Amino acid sequence: MSSPIAAYEGVVGSAVLRQLRQLGEKLTGTRIVHVNSTREGGGVAEILEWMVPLMNDLGLQASWEVIHGDPRFFEITKSIHNGLQGHNVLLSGKDWRIYEDVNARNFERLRPVLEEADVVVIHDPQPAHLLQLCDRRKGKWIWRAHIDISRPFRPVWKTLRTITEKYDASIFSMAEFAQLLPHPQFLVPPSIDPLSEKNRELEPSEIEAVRSEYGLDPSRPLLVQISRFDRFKDPVGVIAAYRLVRKVAPVQLVLAGGGATDDPEGKAVLEDVMEAADSDPDIHVLLLPSSSHRAINALQRLSDIVIQKSTREGFGLTVTEGMWKGKPVVGGDVGGIRLQVVNHHTGFLVNTPEGAAHRIRYLLHNRSRIGEMGSIAREVVREHFLLTRHLRDYLTLMLVLSKDSREHAFEV
Amino acid sequence: MTPFEVKDCALLIRMSGLAPASNLRELRDRIAVCSGNALFHHYCETTLRTTFDNPDYRNDFAVWAKLYLGDRVLAERLGILDPYAFHTMGELRAATLEVIDERLGELTMVPWARPGDELFFMESTTVVFDTGIRIANPSRLGATIRKMTNSSVYFHFLEARRRPPMQVDDFTSWLMDCGEEYRPYIDAVSSIDFYFNSLGFLRRELARVLASVKGTK
Repeated sequence: MSSPIAAYEGVVGSAVLRQLRQLGEKLTGTRIVHVNSTREGGGVAEILEWMVPLMNDLGLQASWEVIHGDPRFFEITKSIHNGLQGHNVLLSGKDWRIYEDVNARNFERLRPVLEEADVVVIHDPQPAHLLQLCDRRKGKWIWRAHIDISRPFRPVWKTLRTITEKYDASIFSMAEFAQLLPHPQFLVPPSIDPLSEKNRELEPSEIEAVRSEYGLDPSRPLLVQISRFDRFKDPVGVIAAYRLVRKVAPVQLVLAGGGATDDPEGKAVLEDVMEAADSDPDIHVLLLPSSSHRAINALQRLSDIVIQKSTREGFGLTVTEGMWKGKPVVGGDVGGIRLQVVNHHTGFLVNTPEGAAHRIRYLLHNRSRIGEMGSIAREVVREHFLLTRHLRDYLTLMLVLSKDSREHAFEV
Repeated sequence: MTPFEVKDCALLIRMSGLAPASNLRELRDRIAVCSGNALFHHYCETTLRTTFDNPDYRNDFAVWAKLYLGDRVLAERLGILDPYAFHTMGELRAATLEVIDERLGELTMVPWARPGDELFFMESTTVVFDTGIRIANPSRLGATIRKMTNSSVYFHFLEARRRPPMQVDDFTSWLMDCGEEYRPYIDAVSSIDFYFNSLGFLRRELARVLASVKGTK
């Protein structure tokens, strides 16, 4: 039976796997423990699902621990999460004590593994307090912030800063998401798994079945934006861009995202989208269940151009996914989209519906550019935004921490 | 002939610890005090990032001046600075500051970037490791380069210029030690204008020009 990492050889090539194995050899036996707050659901769990087995495959002793808490704890950590992202939230002293108490109960359960680990990676704020409880720790502790904390609600950050600044290092997805902390702050962008349901190659018959299911016309160009119904994703702006293009080209538009029934804001945005769509038969607003990975995969593959016209964005992994399918992306000039979309190479950065319409018209008028830019986009993702690069960054980080130096280069 | 030891490297980027620059004067002040590693990162390690494919300029300062300060004059002046032409980071820093000071003297207002468009100073740590691959003869160099990772090409062909012997890549350095009969290989390697190309292109181009030497022998 081949190893988990070997499955990626066909995607990234043997040289990249050789590089990972060589880095892994230098870390053989290193005990690394990841801690987060959920085993299922959410981006962090998705990362750890592949990262832990691949690290083990490369010779490390990786494990994944999850902290447990009652609903009140998770309400509090949700408020911390929102506060870090700039929302005005109310957290009392009692709330912070509940946060600490739940961390303390989890620490008693996890104490042996945390004390013995060579490297502990604490993901997001929920388990961050564990560090202060582990006074007999032997290894390095890293705080991994997956969210943008550049403009936090100050009272929340003021408290959390006292916790996170004691770590040996922290990791952010982008410099723009970070706060200055008194320890090394590393930058590791997220990634996609090319073999996941959302990104793997699909049979043409399956793709065509999705086309039929949603009534898409194969003879006309298709624009696709995949994202939840959120004002910052500007779905109404996408419709405005579509209407400008529609005056000169017979395009179709798909706006597909997760259900919004339990999210009052999402529901309101969806209503605005439906009103803006005005029953246009060529605007397909699709509310898909969270498990619709293959349908989303197929829709991205069916598209001529992927749109992500966000006015505010985290890293924008839907952009990465679209690029991996070989599509040029017309994306908002914000957040991580800027790291991925390079004008005239992998797509276009835009600021307005008019700008998006202009670039879409350019691409539809120069059809060969769609293929050329899509091809570059796929290679950019292969080089920079697949999980193999993500894994390499983590292995490199462990080697850098073991050296404990700020030298520009060193040999291992 | 000593075999060529193929090495590889992995870069880890970190924040420099400096506050981001939001206008030209802050850019000047940060460049004046940033580490040599930060300067090297923003001038030379751009090849390892996606944004390297920006068609206009090859260093972060020039790109930022154009895109976010809206100062094309400054962008052009910074864009032409070739970091590999300077013997030390100190010389490169002085040249950069000279360009910015000159521009500040010409302007009646200090150009600034919008919130969210600041320039963040970063630097990196490079972890180097031996791949175990050895090249016994220059005739095998091109074929081996073809199978290298981009980071291996970066380490031997670009980063090497920062190590002694300064401004010489590792391939050329090795070929020079191999003897005068390998001069055509050295000429082939030096025929590539490395500054304007991506690592993938450089890898293919190095393999191509070295293969063509072999074909003429």
